[in-house]
Amino acid sequence: MSQEHIDRAINREYAAGFVSAIDSDTLAPGLDEEVIQFISQKKGEPDWLLEWRLEAYRGFRQMEEPKWAHVHYPPIDLNAVSYYSSPRSMKDGPKSLDEVDPQLLETYAKLGIPLHEQEMLAGVAVDAVFDSVSVATTFRGKLAEAGVIFCPISEAVHSHPELVRKYLGSVVPRKDNYYAALNSAVFSDGSFVYIPRGVRCPMELSTYFRINEARTGQFERTLIIADEGSHVSYLEGCTAPMRDENQLHAAVVELVALDGAQIKYSTVQNWYPGDAQGRGGIYNFVTKRGVAHRDAKISWTQVETGSAVTWKYPSCILRGDNSVGEFYSVALTNNFQQADTGTKMIHLGKNTRSTIISKGISAGDSSNAYRGLVRMSPKATGARNYTQCDSLLIGHRCAAHTFPYIESRNPSAVVEHEATTSKVSDDQLYLCQQRGLDAEKAVSMIVNGFCKEVFKELPMEFAVEAGKLLEVSLEGSVG
Amino acid sequence: MSDFMQQALDSAAASSPPWLQDWQRAGRQRWNASPLPGRKTEHWKYSSLQSLQQSFARAEPGDVELAAAGIDLPDFDGPRLVFINGYYSPLQSACELPEGVSIVRFADADEEQSRRIRAHLGLATGRDEPLFTALNDAALAEGVFLEFAPGARLSQPVHVVWVSANQAQAFSINQRLLVLCGESSSASVIEHFAGGIGGQRSFTNGVTELLLQAGATLCHYRLQLEQEAALHIGRVQARLATNATLNSFHLALGSELKRVDLVVDFCGEGGHCEVNGVYLPRGREHIDYHTCIEHRVPNCTSSETFRGIVGDDATAVFNGRIHIHRDAQKTRAELNNRNLLTSTRAEVNTKPELEIYADDVQCAHGATVAQLDEQALHYLRSRGVSRTEGEVMLSFGFINEVIESVRSAALRDYLQPMLASRFARDPALVGQAS
Repeated sequence: MSQEHIDRAINREYAAGFVSAIDSDTLAPGLDEEVIQFISQKKGEPDWLLEWRLEAYRGFRQMEEPKWAHVHYPPIDLNAVSYYSSPRSMKDGPKSLDEVDPQLLETYAKLGIPLHEQEMLAGVAVDAVFDSVSVATTFRGKLAEAGVIFCPISEAVHSHPELVRKYLGSVVPRKDNYYAALNSAVFSDGSFVYIPRGVRCPMELSTYFRINEARTGQFERTLIIADEGSHVSYLEGCTAPMRDENQLHAAVVELVALDGAQIKYSTVQNWYPGDAQGRGGIYNFVTKRGVAHRDAKISWTQVETGSAVTWKYPSCILRGDNSVGEFYSVALTNNFQQADTGTKMIHLGKNTRSTIISKGISAGDSSNAYRGLVRMSPKATGARNYTQCDSLLIGHRCAAHTFPYIESRNPSAVVEHEATTSKVSDDQLYLCQQRGLDAEKAVSMIVNGFCKEVFKELPMEFAVEAGKLLEVSLEGSVG
Repeated sequence: MSDFMQQALDSAAASSPPWLQDWQRAGRQRWNASPLPGRKTEHWKYSSLQSLQQSFARAEPGDVELAAAGIDLPDFDGPRLVFINGYYSPLQSACELPEGVSIVRFADADEEQSRRIRAHLGLATGRDEPLFTALNDAALAEGVFLEFAPGARLSQPVHVVWVSANQAQAFSINQRLLVLCGESSSASVIEHFAGGIGGQRSFTNGVTELLLQAGATLCHYRLQLEQEAALHIGRVQARLATNATLNSFHLALGSELKRVDLVVDFCGEGGHCEVNGVYLPRGREHIDYHTCIEHRVPNCTSSETFRGIVGDDATAVFNGRIHIHRDAQKTRAELNNRNLLTSTRAEVNTKPELEIYADDVQCAHGATVAQLDEQALHYLRSRGVSRTEGEVMLSFGFINEVIESVRSAALRDYLQPMLASRFARDPALVGQAS
């Protein structure tokens, strides 16, 4: 598409509400202020949001791509990315499971995913999908009854502008870092959650149920606000590999836990990791951060098995006294995957507590790094942190790294950090094999045991799937 | 490049043998070509070089009363080399060298000796050397080459004293020690830094190269006991051949800027190193230790312990890296860093790092930051020990565990009373006064 086309597209009169019905509405690659105006106009956003995006973009222009992470990848040409593509219709997808890559189906079978869900995940255009949609609709009714708002953020901009305006960018500022600024400028869509005061959300919220909005694109933006004394558990992603054409993903997630609120955010990320030779795969550069006010609690649980390059540090700013931050993570890399992940716990309030449990597993030629920061500010009297990060190495060409930063400026704060690295012990393997397990089963059993502390934090059905997912991801790494 | 060192560098170049001048030129070129690291440089994130931003003259020979400077080790009659402001002081030195030890100053080296020095100098620091090592090269004049012959077994350590004498204006000292331990030799070296008495501003840039040949064992002690106004940037670079063993001990009392980089390079299988350190900054002092253990080859072991007590407005930085290269299988490496904060304004930044590219290894590291254990204090008080006294006992006990690892009895006997009296005298180091 030429510049002329873009100009025409931008200048076109905006007529049909904020959802475009035109199928071919994909913007030509490239990024400038006009593109942002176009996105904003397409979504029918209010002026303040457009200005907000533009300001982020101006900040972004001044920034340089961060190079400190322990990952290597060819330079990304941001001008080769298309920043707007309207939701495509189901017709483009395969017509039935027969047309889907058999390898993908095999994985689904191993994960024990029901048939109609397989179809949905593979993007098959069949009626079965609508079952799930109707399930989602039922859930929506129940949530509305409790007063919980759970909708796409693009919708919330219109239906609850006061909340969005107040909290958007309040945790991750527009110019926080290179990819967060990019996201702020061009974010496509994402979830918005608001739990009213004192409400305990009646069910676990999941992007999985938001099927009709599944294609939120590569610049996802999530904002979750838990008002005083409320409670919510949010699940992101799913264990099954998703069909995805975008190589670069730069998402931003903001959590606000007001006084006494609790937010539990669980992620299972299994995007395309590239093939066994390290070709292709998703670049996952995510900024996730939560602010915990007085007596509030934020808990991040993540199982990261996908993506070619992961760069992700879900963080907690423990602002209020007695607030609690938790981070439980399993990161598995195989073949040529690279992960640089960890957390930041910024203790500002008195008697704040944080726990970090990180389990890294590297196999094949992959590289897996834990990078974390624990900061005790001068006012964090009586604060406490416990960090444990363990790495497991499978195969002699993989790499595992630990870079924990500890900064303490309060004598009454206690910080403990420990880390270990070792391989799957020959003794354990021998014992399992002696009992009749083959090597691959034995390794997967040992790895599952290694990750148990984290899995037990996941909602039950997620935990079961996560275990199977590790098994599948480790395939071919033993023997 | 900032030119705070130009004056000192110019005068160093004037009076050196030709082979050293080449070395100086190369170092100066690198120094001039690179900018001073700032807070954005990862390795200098927590240490500001602001206090170096002044002009330093070249050090002149001076005179110091050793006993008054508190440098004498009791019951020690081994060889002692004294350098005042970087210049060798034959009068103060007790240089009756035992068999198998030879010492030569770079400037005095005859042709054969300078050939040997050139063959070994810079081997441990490597080509891609850090900025302040380039500066050290640029000002290289009073280097010392200490050699232990193959098979030599020394019962006493060699005591190398670097002491500064006051001078009219701020001055810089360039210190360089090259130690070569021949095959299967066994020796100890104490490097003892002192000075800065009476608020004299000085800047010491020290580089120590330790080359351990096959089967050699070396205990290396580096005591940095300069006063607050003495700035120090130091580097110890060790290279271990097959089956070599290095015992490295560090003690630092603070100054406005005290930075030490320790690099241990395992170049032959079967090597072992043990690194222990204690840092005790107070006042507005700043101590920064960066250590890096390079496991390049299989079957080596390393263990590292650093402890610090940080009081008043002081800051301590510890960065301990363990780097296990590809195929360095069967490596065992451990690192432990523990810190006590004794003031609400004190600060500790610690970062134990693991970088591992081999699978059949066992690595662990741990770090803690806290204050004295209230329960332990309570226990002592319940036994009739006053709070203040209990704090002294616990603080001293905390670092004494590391001091105990010092193998030289003479040195241990010197350190323990000195530190004990420091604790009893200085409430900042033993917790908030109750």
